[in-house]
Amino acid sequence: MSSLEIRKINKFYGANQALFDVSLSIGKGEFVTLLGPSGSGKTTLLKILAGFEHVSDGEITLGGRNITELKPETRNFGLVFQGYALFPHMSVRDNIAYPLKVRRKSRDEIDQRVKDMLDLVQLTRFIDRRPNELSGGQQQRVALARALVFKPEVLLLDEPMSALDKKLRVDLQEELRQIHHTLGTTFINVTHDQEEAMHMSDRIAVMDHGRIEQFDSAFNLYRNPKTRFVADFIGKSNIFNGEMVRDAVGRALDFRGEGLEVPLGLTDRAQGKVELMLRPEDLTIATEPAGAGRISLPATVVSSTYSGDRALYLLKLASGREISAYGAARAGIHADGAQVYVAFAPSDVTLIG
Amino acid sequence: MSRVIYWASLTLAFVFLVAPLLIVLPLAFNDSSFLTYPMDGFTFRWFGVFFTAPPWLDSLYNSFKVALGTTLIAVLVGGLAAMGTMLAGKWGQRLLSALFGSPIVIPSVVMGVAMAYAFGRMGLGSGYLSLVMAHTILAAPLVFLSVMTSLKGLDPELDRAAASMGASRWFRFHTVTLPLAMPGFATGALFAFITSFDEVVVALFLASPQSQTLPIVLFSSLRDRLEPTIVVVALLLSIVSFLFILALNHLQKRSAAAR
Repeated sequence: MSSLEIRKINKFYGANQALFDVSLSIGKGEFVTLLGPSGSGKTTLLKILAGFEHVSDGEITLGGRNITELKPETRNFGLVFQGYALFPHMSVRDNIAYPLKVRRKSRDEIDQRVKDMLDLVQLTRFIDRRPNELSGGQQQRVALARALVFKPEVLLLDEPMSALDKKLRVDLQEELRQIHHTLGTTFINVTHDQEEAMHMSDRIAVMDHGRIEQFDSAFNLYRNPKTRFVADFIGKSNIFNGEMVRDAVGRALDFRGEGLEVPLGLTDRAQGKVELMLRPEDLTIATEPAGAGRISLPATVVSSTYSGDRALYLLKLASGREISAYGAARAGIHADGAQVYVAFAPSDVTLIG
Repeated sequence: MSRVIYWASLTLAFVFLVAPLLIVLPLAFNDSSFLTYPMDGFTFRWFGVFFTAPPWLDSLYNSFKVALGTTLIAVLVGGLAAMGTMLAGKWGQRLLSALFGSPIVIPSVVMGVAMAYAFGRMGLGSGYLSLVMAHTILAAPLVFLSVMTSLKGLDPELDRAAASMGASRWFRFHTVTLPLAMPGFATGALFAFITSFDEVVVALFLASPQSQTLPIVLFSSLRDRLEPTIVVVALLLSIVSFLFILALNHLQKRSAAAR
């Protein structure tokens, strides 16, 4: 198996540009997710990778071989469609056997490989059923088996779990990860669900309006977002607009903005505008101000959302600005209107970009 | 109140459509050579006349031959036309659909006159071949429409899925598209057959004395030989049509279940 290089792909639909200089370098066996809202271009990119759309500009190479102009029939990529696209007039066995029949494999080899794939997706006893006799989750697993049975170099998944309920999705995410681990095939998944992306992927390409905002591991995307879009899109965040200003001594830089002053003592940044991010879990809520070394902000509880293990609070600061923060819920929750202190350490903040 | 109206209108429609048949059809069993009521007795002998007397039997055979020939060619022509039209763009499809469907709009008499003249000029004259060709022109649009409906109902993702698995266009066609469009072909074939079998106007223009079809003999018998055998034919044709509708119904249910 070889690495997949996507170089400077531009795609126009008439006068409309859908992809702007999209470049990605995907290693062999990686699990990559294209993550973004609708209209971000992620599905367009996937269609281009599958060969169902032409690029307006740019190229795709697999192990050094240029595959940009190849038709879908010759790319040898597995594809799991959003609606599964199982052949309704064929049994599960014949659906999975189809790509092998196309490749004129022997009867014995087909039987063996179909059986192996059904074992892998745990649907062995459904071998002679028809697609319309299966549940959504089962259909998805058959579609997966069919797309993997011919041992493709790359598996493309187009929002395969969007039609399933939450519990099923979580179970299937885990199954998909296991299958990826077992087979070692390169997986490229498209989704708008950031939790799904974070659970399954080695790296995530966050897309917005046809551009790649950041291509990184889930951890780096979460803790070191390069753009405001990424910070907003992944997880919850509180973002403050401000600027870096010289401290009292005149050497290091602090952050000031929206009523917030955070001594950061940075020397390796430029002065000027910047955005500061605090994740809800970076903050603590208490009825007393926190100790030295931490910044405490007086706040009023606006509302809270109880989730059993913790509560997410919406709080209003003295400046009128609203932020969200997690609080422990074991001993109960703060009432609406309560006066509390929200605290964090200067080292907990993240500067975006 | 709406239930009363429902049942009343249903009954009235039924009576309006079926009553004439119910009044006439029993005469097929009349034990006299006159089509009058009250009936003289009950007999099956007119059925015997139908199945043995030459003009009836030969015309039945001719009708089958013509209908079969028509069905084969119409399915081929109409089916291919539909498949080709599916490959065209939006405006191309509209244009082609109008073109391929146009023969339905033309009155049968106009068709009959035009074809008799055209075939005469070409040296084909009347007979089996010209009749089949004429009927095919009438029936192919029906096959076209039926197959188009079936093809349009297919999920385009199925073809893309098959392509992603390496299947060539031809392989995809005969393993995925054709099997799933079969109900459309079957329905079209049924329509083509029944259209040809029942057709009388164009057949009158184009049939030679040797290739007279059943509707033609029926038509001329009304003038020359008014006997219960005519009603036997009507009864049999009604039964055949009824069976066809049952078959169509069954096909539609099956294609709906496959979705």
